[in-house]
Amino acid sequence: MASLIVLYDPSCGLCRRVREWLEEQPKLVELNLVPVKSDEARHRFPQLDHEPTLNDLTVISDQGAVYYGPKAWVMVLWALGRYREWSYRLATPELLPTVRRIVSLISQHRYQISRVAGLAR
Amino acid sequence: MSVEIITYLIYLAISIALTIWVAHTLHKNGRVFLVDVFHGNEQLADSVNHLLVVGFYLINLGYVSLALKLGYNLASAQEGIEALSVKVGMVLIVLGGMHFFNLFIFSRMRRRATLRHAPPPVMPDAFTAVREA
Repeated sequence: MASLIVLYDPSCGLCRRVREWLEEQPKLVELNLVPVKSDEARHRFPQLDHEPTLNDLTVISDQGAVYYGPKAWVMVLWALGRYREWSYRLATPELLPTVRRIVSLISQHRYQISRVAGLAR
Repeated sequence: MSVEIITYLIYLAISIALTIWVAHTLHKNGRVFLVDVFHGNEQLADSVNHLLVVGFYLINLGYVSLALKLGYNLASAQEGIEALSVKVGMVLIVLGGMHFFNLFIFSRMRRRATLRHAPPPVMPDAFTAVREA
């Protein structure tokens, strides 16, 4: 696996901030950030159902493996040199349910979080 | 020769011999680890190994030298042996601490190196066709 495509929501301030942070991080696997439901996303993944990508962070490998929600977050960490160790810790059966809960909370409330944190446009 | 001088000389002999022995062990057995970490690059492994051992010698001999002074007079051979035992014990503990610290560095380097090539931690949820950008 040489690269991962991250489908992110550009209308959410928190997501844009995370995108900036990701761009600064040293990577073991290349990360390409593509806005959700954009022409580029539809062009690159013609067979993908793009509706759920707006609810959950979606990561797709260059070989077509799709990861949603908590697994997508774990995959993003796995791509980063400083956090690869954490991706294995969070992916264990003991921690993955907690990650799922936290991730879905953040995803559902991302606009409110952005507003409260002053990241909204 | 006074008891103090004899104690000092024995202390130095034991401490230096111990340091050499531990450094030698580290040098001999650490190499395998390092060769693995550097993916068979033996030249680099030997270089890092040597640098680590030099640091090990400097810190240990520095401690041995700093801890030499007794600060009081010894009245008998018994007191000499007791003082020697305390000093050598301290040197052993410092050597042990340094040794474990080195092992920790080796294992961390090795873990980092294996992580670099480790497969993804989770299985994909689905598969989809990918078109080139």
